[in-house]
Amino acid sequence: MERRDFLKQSTLASSLFFVPNFVKAFENISKNTSQHKKLVIIQLSGGNDGLNTIIPYTNDIYYRNRPKLSISKNDVIKATDMLGFHQNLAPLKNLYDQGYLSIINNVGYPNPNRSHFRSTDIWQTAGNSDEYINSGWVGRFIEKYGKNPYAGIELDDSLSLLMKGENMNGIATKNPKILFGNTNTPFFKKVLKQQTAEHLSEHNLGYLYKTMIEAKSSAKYIYETSKTYKSNFEYPNNPFGKQLKTAAEFINSGLNTKVYYASMGGFDTHANQVNRHSKLLTTYSESIEIFINDLKKSDTFKDTLILTFSEFGRRVQQNAAGGTDHGAANNVFIMGVNLKKKGFYNEAANLLSLDANGDVKYTVDFRSIYSTILDKWLQADDASILNKSFKKLDFI
Amino acid sequence: MKQKHLQHLYWRASFGIGAKEITHLKSEPKSKIVSKLLLQSNTYEPLQLDLSEFLEVKFKSNKELKEQFTALELQELKRKQQRKVKALNYAWIERLRQPTALLREKMTLFWSNVFVCRDNDIFFIQRYNNILRQHALGDFRNFVKAIAREPSMSKYLNNRQNVKRKPNENFARELMELFTLGLGNYTEQDVKEAARAFTGWSFKRNGDFYVKEKQHDFKEKTFLGKTGNFDGDDIIDIILEQKQCARFICDKIYTYFINPKIDKKRLEEITAVFYKDYNIGNLMEYIFKSNWFYNEENIGVKIKSPLELLVGIQKVVPVTFHKEQQLIYLQKMMGQTLLYPTNVAGWKGGKSWIDANTLMFRMKLASLILNNAVINLEEKGAFEDSFEKYYQKTKNSNKFIKTTKNWEVFDVENKERNASQLTNLLVLSKLDKDTEAFLESLQIKSNRNFCVQLMSIPEYQLC
Repeated sequence: MERRDFLKQSTLASSLFFVPNFVKAFENISKNTSQHKKLVIIQLSGGNDGLNTIIPYTNDIYYRNRPKLSISKNDVIKATDMLGFHQNLAPLKNLYDQGYLSIINNVGYPNPNRSHFRSTDIWQTAGNSDEYINSGWVGRFIEKYGKNPYAGIELDDSLSLLMKGENMNGIATKNPKILFGNTNTPFFKKVLKQQTAEHLSEHNLGYLYKTMIEAKSSAKYIYETSKTYKSNFEYPNNPFGKQLKTAAEFINSGLNTKVYYASMGGFDTHANQVNRHSKLLTTYSESIEIFINDLKKSDTFKDTLILTFSEFGRRVQQNAAGGTDHGAANNVFIMGVNLKKKGFYNEAANLLSLDANGDVKYTVDFRSIYSTILDKWLQADDASILNKSFKKLDFI
Repeated sequence: MKQKHLQHLYWRASFGIGAKEITHLKSEPKSKIVSKLLLQSNTYEPLQLDLSEFLEVKFKSNKELKEQFTALELQELKRKQQRKVKALNYAWIERLRQPTALLREKMTLFWSNVFVCRDNDIFFIQRYNNILRQHALGDFRNFVKAIAREPSMSKYLNNRQNVKRKPNENFARELMELFTLGLGNYTEQDVKEAARAFTGWSFKRNGDFYVKEKQHDFKEKTFLGKTGNFDGDDIIDIILEQKQCARFICDKIYTYFINPKIDKKRLEEITAVFYKDYNIGNLMEYIFKSNWFYNEENIGVKIKSPLELLVGIQKVVPVTFHKEQQLIYLQKMMGQTLLYPTNVAGWKGGKSWIDANTLMFRMKLASLILNNAVINLEEKGAFEDSFEKYYQKTKNSNKFIKTTKNWEVFDVENKERNASQLTNLLVLSKLDKDTEAFLESLQIKSNRNFCVQLMSIPEYQLC
């Protein structure tokens, strides 16, 4: 039995009066760093070039198609005898070595769409490529299991479709103080102060008041709770690092939030890709590493799963402008403790068998990943949230 | 006509009505007012930007362009053109603010969310926008046929790639699912057959429609139970034979113009009217002239779209934006940027406009544009942005929306009004007792001030 579990159980078993002080102290910690499972979703927005992220460094087709862009074998941080990490992903390789990373290759969906908007839509709603859904899969999860907007937080100032349900939505903030301030202007306060529950029965007007009350209480809860933990880790000084720092403060302060979502921009590398992409990978991997260290220090990493995806991968063949165009299937990163399948979850992309556009074909439906996370991690009824049952994977 | 009914009519058929206009129209009967509204909207005035700076590149092939310009110059030209789509966004909002053809403009906005389309090509998207405007009150059959021929639509739903040997079903599918019938009213086989009928439908470099005969499938098709050598127009005719098509459109009209809660009996009533001749103007006239349109349950119950909110405020106090980019910012933060729909299904509208973040923003909108309130929230970056640009706005938080407010217009119309008159003028929704008590408790410094306060209560979100 782990020491922690023992302490927890013993506090339950013994009467409070006889609990020594040091146990009480632990009890407080476990209360603050609440035990519920958390999911952090990161979108690499614009379409990350997965082939230059995880590199098939023994594959001639890769090198033939990318005379200007390929990462030379000597620069790759080798992981298996076929695949390796981009040289700027040392922190990620580190996580890989510790067994905290699972890489799922060739993730996508049938009839891939190559528009950023539409493909993001598809990933966020978990629909088919010819299906238009007005809610996001996280939004539907929040609606069913969250009961409160703060069950899902987007680290931004406005809410994406991902976080919207039918009648209940998540909430967006990258700065809880500002959010709190905006819901607590003297005027709003007064409007709500007068409010009885009477309005709430009116159809649309009731919905407005209900949303307003929820916004106010969520903002207050997020602000007051997150205040109690200030991260003293030094994150990279850029907006993505900041988003993750805020997420860490939310998680470590014991906020009762189940899903976090952050989007990192800049991956639409149609031109002059080499330097741009290298920098992006540095930013991503350094921020992630510190984020995980931050969580580990507060012992919350064990309850946190991090999912990184991009709306599509990029074409195998480089274009004339020293970049790559929109592609299809791509790799997805899962990070956490106690992963069932550490390292590479499946085979690398088969570059001999590309689709008509010259893009990587999918072998894993992205919704299989969602359904696995919903079922095994968030303990939710995945089929009712995804409106369909998908084959489960065994990475967790 | 009662003041409240006038306000209801003008909120749905336009973006509200000023005090002066109310006084002016009050004594006239409903039928006369509605007829006039329609008559005014007979004029069709296209929205035209000055695009002369692009004459050199207009309608040229890639080959021609490559001979004329370097790759870098071409990239810059392309970007410049794309920026013009934003200019069209401003111009459109400006039109909404001061239309002569009130109903035509409101209907254009409505149709843009039915026949949803997006295009970076300023020439084509401007043309498309005007097709919506031109047909907004006309014959629905001609309307659909015109839409099917538009280059922007052809690009957006891949009909250009729809060829005999390898039909692309995208346009045929959305034509039925989103534009005319709705899911469940056709089979997968119907989609395939319809796609065949639209094969070869394409457009010339200048945007004009033509059929690539070699790519068109002239053979027999069986569609919705009928068999023949159909082309795209035949498919549209067969779709319109279905009463479901009239019902589908009327369902959208009902939700948008009458009430988000649909009364099935009324829906069937207007469906029958529309099915008779598919004339949009006649349908709207029927609705606005009917007594039930003015029933209590239909008034002040619709959640304003961001555009209705934004334009509605400016109808009361005219505003000029100093930075057009800030107008885009406001639209983005509220989740509706004209000409930039997120997908072909369009904005769902109603409750989906509202979440904790948008509601707080919407309730602050009046003080932002009329009262120099500070805002410290940032819009999302774009997919195409570099990392730096994606987050660029972070640097200048705490911004003002820079506007010139023409309060004088408001003063002339409203200076003499007392609090309850002003409330009745601005708020259509039922006022709850609590909110009413709250409003009464306010110390009214000036009518200008009270106006902004009224625009900041939840009730103002409804029309």
